[in-house]
Amino acid sequence: MNILILSLILALGIYALLCKDLLHSIIALSALSMLSALLFTMLRAPDVAITEAAVGAGVTTIIFVWAIRHTQRREEDS
Amino acid sequence: MKYINTAKQIIAILLVCLVVGVVIISEHSWPEGARDYLFAHAFEDTGATNTVSAIYLGYRAMDTLGETLVLLVAITGTMAILVNLGKDTIEEEAVHFCLPPEKRAKNALRTHLLEVVSSKLGPIVLLFGFYVMLYGHISPGGGFQGGVIVASSIVFLALGTETKSKLTNTVVLSRIEAIAFLALVLASISGVFFETGFFGNPIKPETDLSANFIILLNIIIGLKVGTSIATMCIAMMGGRHDL
Repeated sequence: MNILILSLILALGIYALLCKDLLHSIIALSALSMLSALLFTMLRAPDVAITEAAVGAGVTTIIFVWAIRHTQRREEDS
Repeated sequence: MKYINTAKQIIAILLVCLVVGVVIISEHSWPEGARDYLFAHAFEDTGATNTVSAIYLGYRAMDTLGETLVLLVAITGTMAILVNLGKDTIEEEAVHFCLPPEKRAKNALRTHLLEVVSSKLGPIVLLFGFYVMLYGHISPGGGFQGGVIVASSIVFLALGTETKSKLTNTVVLSRIEAIAFLALVLASISGVFFETGFFGNPIKPETDLSANFIILLNIIIGLKVGTSIATMCIAMMGGRHDL
């Protein structure tokens, strides 16, 4: 089960890096945070899980979405 | 050009293997001395049942002060950038989530779903945040965790309700933040007068009341973290730039 969640986290991280649509990247990062929180709960670290869920899935998502609204959504090909 | 990129990728993979492989291959057992010591002594020394709280507010409270300072500097820098940003593009760019509908910019995305869900969810999340903050010495949680949950509930309330409240006013929030930081500094030097040193527990250990210092520090840190992150998020959403 841990291996499954870890490989999902890895896949979401790679997707967030490679995806050209930055909004999709943010949603992938948010899902990655939720999976990490689940993993921390299963490894009996509920303190870290609360922090990860509140900061990773809550606050940073708001900040990233705000940053995208004020810049641009698509990543340009370099 | 293509060969250079391929070479870069190969070097990156090799470096990752170098870092991760050492951890996987190594047969050195995990250190257990600190764990056993904390398991035996943490409750008597600090009065906190939750060992994580005992570490970061009892043994290593100095690190918590440093972390709070780092957060303070980060928020100060963000607010400085935001205030200067508001001067140039004051009305067009800022998305006014917090204003009533007739004063809001046209591109502000506020649907009925967002208003209903966030305004109903906000108070419950606020209560849960204060629970996590106040019971940090017993159950999982603490000042930082509870503070971030309080901050997200304030953002929910700012998104969901049209009425102006003092909870979503950045001036009030930043004043609470300043008072909380002053209280943290005062609480940190309070141990000096009771012969326990900087950040020492002023209440004698091995009494029933010795966890109260942990509770006090949790409340102060929770208010500090919660109000500062809420101030930053509301200012980012174009709430009020006048600080």
